[in-house]
Amino acid sequence: MKIFENKILILILRLFLGGLFIYASWSKLLNPEDFGRAIRGYDMMPLGFISVLSVFLPFLEFFSGLFLIFGIFKRGSVFIITAMLVMFLIGLTQAYARGLSIDCGCFSVTPTTETQGGSYLLIRIIEDIFMLIAAFLIYNFERKKIKTITSN
Amino acid sequence: MNRVKLITQVLFILGFALIIGLIVNAVNPKGISIFDDGERYSKNVQEKSIKDLVTNPYDTTNNNKPKTLDKPPNISKEGFVKPQHIKLDLAKLFYDQGALFIDARMKVQYDSGHVKGAINIPYGEFLAKSKEEKIDIMKKYNKEGTIVCYCSGGECEVSIDLAYEIAKIGYNYLNIYRGGYPEWEKAGYPVEK
Repeated sequence: MKIFENKILILILRLFLGGLFIYASWSKLLNPEDFGRAIRGYDMMPLGFISVLSVFLPFLEFFSGLFLIFGIFKRGSVFIITAMLVMFLIGLTQAYARGLSIDCGCFSVTPTTETQGGSYLLIRIIEDIFMLIAAFLIYNFERKKIKTITSN
Repeated sequence: MNRVKLITQVLFILGFALIIGLIVNAVNPKGISIFDDGERYSKNVQEKSIKDLVTNPYDTTNNNKPKTLDKPPNISKEGFVKPQHIKLDLAKLFYDQGALFIDARMKVQYDSGHVKGAINIPYGEFLAKSKEEKIDIMKKYNKEGTIVCYCSGGECEVSIDLAYEIAKIGYNYLNIYRGGYPEWEKAGYPVEK
């Protein structure tokens, strides 16, 4: 497990994950209506909750990604990113299992035929799992580093 | 790093994102009402059918005005009359009585087949216009006439959104036909390409 204590590797993971979250939030930030439509498609939230979520979630993605990259509140932001990834994973998996033909709303809120349903969702599920692993590594090995520094 | 610090950080980021999100939404021209209950998108929403016509305050067809309004029209918080959802049978009745049908889909979808006589107002384009421009587009249509908005059925929601946008500029008899073009075509009702 020594390799994961490598500062450079953790830094790369941080930049990568943070960058992905900023990228993913970009088209949603100013299009809450379209994003709300995408969330509704998953059919797993009370309808009254969706407006707030479609305003709030893109900014949460954006700022946690930004903070992670710049190393501000690293552990807090990677914790939130992990929580979001788990939530997305549940959403994607249940949509896939129920065979919903929905627009993913993952990286873009403009539906195209490629971003709808079936195999596209499966790719996103696998991607989500990889991001979760990255988040887990950052969460764990950032702490190790801090510990060793303080113990020296 | 202890747990308290982590929780503090998490709460700070959550609060920060929420506040910035609300501020941006308030100044964003494409911002939405965060108190929107989203009820109109519900799949369980009651769709009116012909049998509901007797006391239906929206029924302006065939001089068949309701004798009594047992309840006032469904006024929204913003003060416009909420569009109602209708089933195929009522959509066909309104069609036969000369209601204005509006196809809310993109032009390319409209061109590939639509309800005969329907006009095309793609929702995205309509939404982007100013209130004056919206009124201008709609001014040649009777404000007290029955209007039916539809799109491509299934998960399609632009018919709902378009109906609400038109209702907001003062049209009181908006109907949303969620079955949409596929159901209409399947029923063998008039279409044109």
